[in-house]
Amino acid sequence: MKLNRLLGTAALAAGLYGTTVSGVQAADLEFYFPVGVNAPAVETIQEMVDAWDEAHPEHTVKAVYAGNYEETTTKALTAAQAGNAPDVAVLLAIDIFTLVEEDVVAPFSQMATSEEDKAWMDSFIKGFTVDTVFGGETYSIPFQRSTPIFYYNKDAFREAGLDPEKAPESWAEMIEIGKKLVKKDDAGNVVQWGTRVPNLGLAGLWLLGGMVYSMDGTLTTDSGTEVQFNTDATLSAISFLKSLAEEGIMQPGGVTWGDTPKAFIEGNTASMWTSSGNLAFVNDNAEFEWGTAFLPGGNHPGASLGGGNFYIFKDTSDDEKAAALDLVKFMTSPENAAKWAISTGYVATSEAAWETAAIKDYTAQLPQALVARDQLPYAYREVATFQRKRVAQIMADALEAIIAEGADPKASLANAQSEVDKILADYN
Amino acid sequence: MSWPVRPTQQIGTALDHVAGMTLAAVLAVLWGLPLLYSVWTAFHAEKYSVQFDLTAPWTLQNFVEAWNAAPFGLYFINTVLLSLMAVSANFVLCTLTAYGLVRYRFRWAGPLFALIMVQMLITPEILIGPNYLTLARLGLIDTIFGVALPYLSSAFGIFLLRQTFKTVPASLDEAATMEGAGMWRVLWDVYVPLAKPVYLAYGLVSVSFHWNNFLWPLIVTNSPEARPVTVGLSVFATVDSGVEWSLVNAATLMTTAPLVLAFLLFQRGFVDNFMRIGIK
Repeated sequence: MKLNRLLGTAALAAGLYGTTVSGVQAADLEFYFPVGVNAPAVETIQEMVDAWDEAHPEHTVKAVYAGNYEETTTKALTAAQAGNAPDVAVLLAIDIFTLVEEDVVAPFSQMATSEEDKAWMDSFIKGFTVDTVFGGETYSIPFQRSTPIFYYNKDAFREAGLDPEKAPESWAEMIEIGKKLVKKDDAGNVVQWGTRVPNLGLAGLWLLGGMVYSMDGTLTTDSGTEVQFNTDATLSAISFLKSLAEEGIMQPGGVTWGDTPKAFIEGNTASMWTSSGNLAFVNDNAEFEWGTAFLPGGNHPGASLGGGNFYIFKDTSDDEKAAALDLVKFMTSPENAAKWAISTGYVATSEAAWETAAIKDYTAQLPQALVARDQLPYAYREVATFQRKRVAQIMADALEAIIAEGADPKASLANAQSEVDKILADYN
Repeated sequence: MSWPVRPTQQIGTALDHVAGMTLAAVLAVLWGLPLLYSVWTAFHAEKYSVQFDLTAPWTLQNFVEAWNAAPFGLYFINTVLLSLMAVSANFVLCTLTAYGLVRYRFRWAGPLFALIMVQMLITPEILIGPNYLTLARLGLIDTIFGVALPYLSSAFGIFLLRQTFKTVPASLDEAATMEGAGMWRVLWDVYVPLAKPVYLAYGLVSVSFHWNNFLWPLIVTNSPEARPVTVGLSVFATVDSGVEWSLVNAATLMTTAPLVLAFLLFQRGFVDNFMRIGIK
């Protein structure tokens, strides 16, 4: 190990001698990462970081597990405010506005300036780069991204006399097919629902965003200062959501995010709308034939994007920034992006990653994973504004009041709209 | 003068008793269910997490998997160190403060005590930022001592001990002083022994607080060498990919086992003391 490092240093020194005049300064990097998927994710990220460390003996890097997304952002901001910022961190893509407002991150577009760097920044799939930009600068690099897809039980489709290769594409089809999938016992209790769309909390808002997008609307605009909640697009998405329960296709009232995959593998529901991050879980646990498809949409398919990106912090030396940039390039290289996607279920972020042999083997075994990529042209950023936590909470609460308490949709949306407009007035 | 007890009153009392017991039993079951459920899921494969099939095979696989998901051995040692450090410092500092406040009725004792109590109004989360800054300046980020530092004394502990010390009869104190005991001797031989139940109760509450504390240690530590079990446990809260209850519950049982055992061992003392403190 030590010998390896020594040899590595010698080789690198020799290499440097030939190519560049300026010396490379040793950098000690600190890298915060969150975990939102099953435990092996920690191991995989550690392996990848170790591989970079090994290839760069002049630098050291310490990968620090920092909880979930929210906790990681809190930790990074607390540390940054105490002058102790990490060099690099994976944080929610939509936290860009908060991080810019707190003035703690450095734009990639000012650090990665060579032709090669620019090509690298251009190599990511377009949908994922929407939420990396603010004020003309690129602040983050896509890494662990997810998007919801439609999962369905093919055996249940067959049993209901439906074509198992034909998933519903529109909301109307969802309702028509959903009705046929509902199964009741002799006492009239539902033993199998037609579908399950989580509609509570931030997860509910995440899915609603995609439905609105499928009606050519958007809940928030790119500026981060505008919410378009009280619109016809939102109203039609909500009336579709409500009709699922009214038509007896989905359990009435609030539907939670966390219990949804379980309800699906247990046959409690014949289909579900949930994150592509559940592919591995469903694959490991489902005892029936299952498929995936685009989420049914209004005018066309539509889905929200979610997940985390790499950010580099401002308060570090230029040498550390350069080393951090190199680490980010390494972590997002096609091979590593593919490795990360395969071990976690996140959607690989570049076309090149989808061309690697590793991911081709993976999708040959699990063709259901391709749907998430193919759906990307119809996917758009999730709710993102300044003061995101407050704004998103107000919107999620309004949705919950409509769904679970039967509040009037139009009035609730209008109320929530005026509340968030007040918060965002400071930014306009 | 005594009133004859009427039969209906007797029946009423008996009914009250039955109702009381039934209510207690129902509450006990309600309270116990989550624990039973976590034991069930922890010892069964994931697919039995909602199928209560009594013939389902038992397994220890979840524990093995959970144990290997994070360096739990190290985390346990850290948590024990952290709890011991915080609790012993609390005992010493709170005892001395309470003793000073009760025995030496100096001029500003009242306002000073009020000031200490006001601290209980501040939620710990608000202090994370300032405390982090202090630790960063002291160079104590990423150390177990750094995690414990803001918790070495507590307003609640001072309050509890002050109230207990106040109930010690002045005559006991005076008698000891007459016998020639100095102030340390009086504290050690008169006040502390009388407050033993309070120490036990407060110790258990404190240990369980430090055992469960998560956000603060997560934020001020970066290395496994300084992190407590809760940080290891949080790896299982995987909302993006569906929660695996069998794994989560195996990890939870594993990390809470020492506390549950301690509670069972000290149960009598624990509950009795809490009743007494509550009544005061």
